[in-house]
Amino acid sequence: MALLATLLALRKDARILKIPPYLSAFLILVGLGWLLVLPLNEYSRATYVSENALLPGQVHTYFTGSEHNIFRAYRHEVAGLVDMPVQQRTEKLSELFRATNLKVATQKYAYTPSGRNISNENVYAVLQGPRADATEAIVLMASLKTMDDEHNYSGVALVLALARYFKRWSLWSKDIIFLVSGDSTSGPQAWVDAYHDAHDPSKVESLAIKSGALQGAVGVEYPAGPWGHRYDKLHVVYDGTNGQLPNLDLFNTAVNIASGQMGIRCTLQRMWNHRDTYQERLQTMLRGMLSQGLGHATGPHSAFIPYHIDAITLVTVGDGWHDEMGLGRTVESLFRSLNNLLEHLHQSFFFYLLLEAKRFVSIGTYLPSAMLIAANFSITAIALWVQSGRWQEPIPNPAATKPVSKPATSESSIEPKKQAEEPTQQEEPPEQKDTEPPTTLVSNDGATAIIPTAALPISERPLFLPAAFVLTAHLFGLIPLAIFNTLPVEELYPSFLLAANITILLPLGAAFFLSQFNRPTPQETTLIHCFSLLFLGMFLSALATLNFSQSLMVGLLTAPLSFVRRGKGGLGSAAQFALLAAVNPVMVVQAAAYAAKVPMLDVLVKAAEGWEIWGLWTQVVMWLVWWPAWFCGSVVVASGLI
Amino acid sequence: MALDAKQKAALFAGAGALRLLLFQAFPSLPNRLAGRVELSTPVSSFKRLQEGLYLYTHNVSPYDGGVYHQAPLLLPLLSLLPSASDHPLATNLLFTVVDLLSAHALGQIADTGRAASTRLFTSSRKSIRWSSAAIVAGYLFSPFTLAACMARSTSALTNLCILTAMAKASQGASTTFLLVLSAASYLSMHPLLLFPPLLALLYDARLDRSKSAPSPLTFTVMHTFGLLVACGALLVASALLTGSWDFLEATYGVRLLLPDLTPNVGLWWYFFIEMFDSFRDFFLGVFWLHVASYTPGLTIRLRTQPLFVAATLTGIFAIFTPYPSVADAALYLSLIPLFRHLFPLMRYTFLASASVLYASFLGPAFYHLWVYAGSGNANFFYAITLVWSLGLSIIVGDSLYAALRDELDVERPELRDKEVKRI
Amino acid sequence: MLSFLSFLLCNALIACAFAGSDYHERLLLRPLPQSTLLASFNFRSNESSVTYEQQNFRLFPRSLGQILQHAHTKELHLRFSVGRWDAENWGQRPWYGAREGSNGVELWAWIEANTEDEAFSRWLTLVNNLSGLFCASLNFIDATKTIRPVISFDPEGDHASTSNLHLLHGTLPHEVVCTENLTPFLKLLPCKGKAGISSLLDGHKLFDAAFQTMALDVRPVCETPGENCIVEMEQTVDMVLDIARSKRPRDNPIPRPLPIEEIECDTSKPYNAPDTCYPLDKRTEPAWNLTEVFGKSLKGACPLTATEGPESETLCINTPPERTIQVNTTGQYTESLSASDTLRCYKLPTGAEFDLVLPEQRMTTGLVRGEPHLYAARSINGHGQERGSVQVVIKNPSTTDPVEFAYLESLPWFMKPYLHTIRVNVPTSTEDPLKETYYRPAVDRVRGTHLELRLVVPPASTLTLTYDFEKAILRYTEYPPDANRGFDAPPAVIRILGPFQSADRKGLYLRTTPLLLSLPTPDFSMPYNVIILTSTVMALGFGNIFNLLVRRLVGADEVPEVAGGLKGIVQGKIQWLMGLFGKHQKSE
Repeated sequence: MALLATLLALRKDARILKIPPYLSAFLILVGLGWLLVLPLNEYSRATYVSENALLPGQVHTYFTGSEHNIFRAYRHEVAGLVDMPVQQRTEKLSELFRATNLKVATQKYAYTPSGRNISNENVYAVLQGPRADATEAIVLMASLKTMDDEHNYSGVALVLALARYFKRWSLWSKDIIFLVSGDSTSGPQAWVDAYHDAHDPSKVESLAIKSGALQGAVGVEYPAGPWGHRYDKLHVVYDGTNGQLPNLDLFNTAVNIASGQMGIRCTLQRMWNHRDTYQERLQTMLRGMLSQGLGHATGPHSAFIPYHIDAITLVTVGDGWHDEMGLGRTVESLFRSLNNLLEHLHQSFFFYLLLEAKRFVSIGTYLPSAMLIAANFSITAIALWVQSGRWQEPIPNPAATKPVSKPATSESSIEPKKQAEEPTQQEEPPEQKDTEPPTTLVSNDGATAIIPTAALPISERPLFLPAAFVLTAHLFGLIPLAIFNTLPVEELYPSFLLAANITILLPLGAAFFLSQFNRPTPQETTLIHCFSLLFLGMFLSALATLNFSQSLMVGLLTAPLSFVRRGKGGLGSAAQFALLAAVNPVMVVQAAAYAAKVPMLDVLVKAAEGWEIWGLWTQVVMWLVWWPAWFCGSVVVASGLI
Repeated sequence: MALDAKQKAALFAGAGALRLLLFQAFPSLPNRLAGRVELSTPVSSFKRLQEGLYLYTHNVSPYDGGVYHQAPLLLPLLSLLPSASDHPLATNLLFTVVDLLSAHALGQIADTGRAASTRLFTSSRKSIRWSSAAIVAGYLFSPFTLAACMARSTSALTNLCILTAMAKASQGASTTFLLVLSAASYLSMHPLLLFPPLLALLYDARLDRSKSAPSPLTFTVMHTFGLLVACGALLVASALLTGSWDFLEATYGVRLLLPDLTPNVGLWWYFFIEMFDSFRDFFLGVFWLHVASYTPGLTIRLRTQPLFVAATLTGIFAIFTPYPSVADAALYLSLIPLFRHLFPLMRYTFLASASVLYASFLGPAFYHLWVYAGSGNANFFYAITLVWSLGLSIIVGDSLYAALRDELDVERPELRDKEVKRI
Repeated sequence: MLSFLSFLLCNALIACAFAGSDYHERLLLRPLPQSTLLASFNFRSNESSVTYEQQNFRLFPRSLGQILQHAHTKELHLRFSVGRWDAENWGQRPWYGAREGSNGVELWAWIEANTEDEAFSRWLTLVNNLSGLFCASLNFIDATKTIRPVISFDPEGDHASTSNLHLLHGTLPHEVVCTENLTPFLKLLPCKGKAGISSLLDGHKLFDAAFQTMALDVRPVCETPGENCIVEMEQTVDMVLDIARSKRPRDNPIPRPLPIEEIECDTSKPYNAPDTCYPLDKRTEPAWNLTEVFGKSLKGACPLTATEGPESETLCINTPPERTIQVNTTGQYTESLSASDTLRCYKLPTGAEFDLVLPEQRMTTGLVRGEPHLYAARSINGHGQERGSVQVVIKNPSTTDPVEFAYLESLPWFMKPYLHTIRVNVPTSTEDPLKETYYRPAVDRVRGTHLELRLVVPPASTLTLTYDFEKAILRYTEYPPDANRGFDAPPAVIRILGPFQSADRKGLYLRTTPLLLSLPTPDFSMPYNVIILTSTVMALGFGNIFNLLVRRLVGADEVPEVAGGLKGIVQGKIQWLMGLFGKHQKSE
């Protein structure tokens, strides 16, 4: 209270109102600069294993010798499988598992995202820990196709060989589930959904055998043909669906074992040769953020992470001298570590950005950048609120909240922007000083805000239309969301183009439509802008806690919204509108696809697939947060044009 | 007025239709919402109510267990409906109707106009007011109310009773007032604290209607007695129904002693999770004393505006009671527009509403991080409950300031629109 | 005094007269598929109830007897179990599951008492004493872990009057059973593991078994109701040994990959090569003998066992007749075939070591394996720490007769089941399989849930039982202090009521696996912060409101003005600071 009291005195200081635009700009710049310093040693940390039960690499590994011969045999078997029909393939795999006295079950699944038919069959086997009580389990999986759509011969063979080998050990304190999934993302998704009974029985078959709570999952991708292929590095993939990450301890353990115990170098985010320079660190981080921000599934492990099951995928890359046994021993050692766990992984970080295999940035260090960018919207929103409160012409019926009782459009010549910039120009006689709505500076969620102490009816704000407008805009986003998630493939691209055009024209149309009713008054325009920015800031700060990178990306792409204002028509407004049109969501997506040399159609198809199968939220954010915010902003500008 | 009536009819029809549409369009939504800790607390959860009903219909005492903590009389009443899992329509209709009735009561309160002008006090800004239709709309279409209705939490019933009690009090209908208020207190205890201000309100209303003033003392005694009788009757009826007095311990006992620490939007749960055992009872006492302390304070200071006191108290309940839910906040926030004439005097509206908005978005996100994603811990959600409570308490405090300021303008018109200080 | 002595003496004589057949022991070996071996030990010692009442113990261990008498326990059943019985592969459970316990420790007893409360206090005495006797934390069985089953258990013994007998049942699913429980268990035996089949019981092997359960049962048995009764104590140990694993020498237990020569490759494969080998699993019974499997040698018979008759044959092995078995001993022994030659029993020599040697052998007939009456699997659906649902799948393999069974759940209080969400469905039949429900809901921190269902599963069909539950969040002092994987919910006990009946009164049982509950946890490091922060918010609300209530508003010009602008701020600050030092201040 005392703080507020003293700060109340500031209200006379009209200079305050000049600050917000600069402040926003400043925050955005700082937010960006913040990212750039993260790769420096001062701001990042070397990784370390904090769960002391894991003891990575402390055990001898015995997966060698005759196991190698058997592995080769299995690899031939798998090579024989790939072009069999699904049914036959499943039987053969089950037979291979049964030969090692494991309990085997299969699971069919058939999805139809955007009219395509994704159907296949999973085979999994449960190794019951000799002393275990079926309360915990860990998963070792390989999909028949890798993420790059190659045949995962050696990966599957390795799972079979390890299943046979693990069966001999008596020290397992948890069950081990060996999963051979039909494809790299949908298969594991169907399996883990069914495991938690969160599946749609019409699409996904329920599981016949279950074990206890899953404590961790490791995927193997080793696309080497029946005659084998020696690899150079292990590519550790860790992004989960919707940008959720596995516990850093799991990643560290894998890297620690592979590089420390087996001498296999590890890499991440497709940085094939990482020389640990600043640029490469930055590049790794940005790639990581990009794939996190897109939130798509990056491997068979991705499906597990939303269920709070820490999972990673080990992919072999390059040509080198490491052989399959090395990978096998890595997995063995990793499972011995997981087997030691007394409790679910919880010690280490869940929010992190990796710079290279052994260096990371923790949330405390990087979160501010996203928060700053989210904050800039809140600040602008507050500034706009104040500004709308400073509206000078009296409103006949201040109590009115309904459009019907609204006054005709104000013929005031003072435009909000100018007023915001030079409020000192309006010289008010001292006795009027009190009637001017006092403002007070308060802090809220890290955003410093100037808000009016509404003291007089004259500063009454017509809240109805703006609020209604903004809410409608946000609800309107549902339409494209529904459309793009349901349309069949062939209609996706045309409708996307249609959406692109509509998106450009809609703001003008809306502004024109409103102008027919002499609406919105400049004050309402300001309020529309204010509310939409307020919502945007709110969404982004909430999103930053769930998917940091996504929030940051959307924040940057919507940054212009906090600088555009309703102009008096003419070039200024036109330029603003052009700018906004350039950064409209649809356009940006298209540009990104073009830059990444991915056909737009694939993006749309993947998005629809993600929505139906992985429960992807990216398009929700795009259509219900980004698009409406952009729409409101452009309407504000457009209303100046018309 | 005819137009207003039409408007209202349209409103109610629209609101009802919207609710039923939502119920029908998203059949899984009600149960999902009923599972949200923000909406349904151990003492108002619909799922627990169903459990209670099941036990009741299978002749197991629902109070001989740790699940059902709601009023006994709900059981026979709701057991008349078909089971909500098989035929949800009946239950949905019931809760829709409950909402509409509450809205109707709210409209009545607004129509009496006692918010701005009472017997002893008339605001200088009474001209600034919203039509009752607008206020009703504000209640019916506020997302909080909608969510609470969809979650079918029994606090909707409590809200109905409270609103009706206010309406009846401001109309001066003693008997119904007593009955409804006792029902409210019977359902969830704390509305009992609303009795003093509402009694004052009732008294004013009576005086306005009939000039023959009953002496305040006899009036108070009579009504207090009446309230006791009504509550007693309800309790005895419940005892007869359940065949024992166990329900007292299982319902009011739970509200008093907080054995069930399921998270909610309030301040108590995490406090008593972390509280040292030896101090638990002491702080329970302190917290309850704290809640109770507002009634006398406000009633005495603002005796001339009893309705405002009652409204503020509902706000207090939404913050400081052991098991508050969004439904309680919805009640308070829908009562605020009655005092439209105070808005110009409020200073922190933007701050308060922004923090409430932020909380209502971040709350679910953080709860997800804690309980499902496992990447956050309890402090995340706890922090948000703090923000939520803070936001609400700012609104309460600010509106109170506005009320006092408004009073001052009437006492000393020369100070109108001037700076004031508190001494 | 003298008469008393003589009385004692004659009692002793009587006892001696019976001595011959008062102690029986038997080890039944049954090879199971996948080169595993089931060994069930059974020790039985009788004490005439007269001498038992007089605390004149001979074979019956005094330590236990006194505890039972002190706690007025008429019948006692105690189980220590680890691992799970793999019914799909191993078939029918030993003793039809009657001597099997749920994971960890399970205890149930019939206690004589006039009132429930008395029974419960005696129950507490019992568990506390037993926990001392067996080095197990049985004393953690308190009111919240104790239930009173209705249909799942019947007394095995003959009791004069069951009117004032109270059945109490408690489980400790998280108890880790280990050698320190075996030692006191062996101490109760008359031969103390020095001779007889008990000399095979070795802690290392026992607790390396894939499945193992130790049972202690005390019950009164009467030839004719009420007359010359005896108190029978039965001790049972069932273990499933992985032959390959137990044959490994103790100094080198690591299952290293075999040299390639020792692996039989499938040469028919096209790719078969020196470096590529598709392993053939040789379908032969592995070779083993008692000494290497049990890690100890069998030191002849226990002298207390009967010297002739079927009771004297204390070692039996249950294999097809074609399986060759060589006996390796220096002493006298006899072998007898029975049960259509699938059962061979041996009378052990006294004082001489005895060993059975089974060579590796390719069998034409399958192993002896009984079909289980039911298969049961229980798991948790859903994820997150807030709620979930339990799913039990029960399969009836019989193609002819429906199986009726009782299903008993005893859940901890912080796992709150919603009974109205119980769904029992059998896809193949329309009639409601749920016949009866006994339900005692949990009360927070007072008692746990007790749920008992009587169900019928039609022939050749699968019954699925599901119900939702919610997890309570506990006070921070109620969570275990050390690293823990979560809380365990005890296994469900399933008792088959019909049509199958057990020969004796033991009943037919099976048990599911336990469940793991991960509860939502508060931050344990936070008590002070939470108390401070919450109190601050409350103080803000309270302070703000009452500050407004108790003060009076006056015009700003009526109090000493604070100049506006920056100066004002500074002054305001100063004033405010001084206000902090108790100086009377006017804020705002």
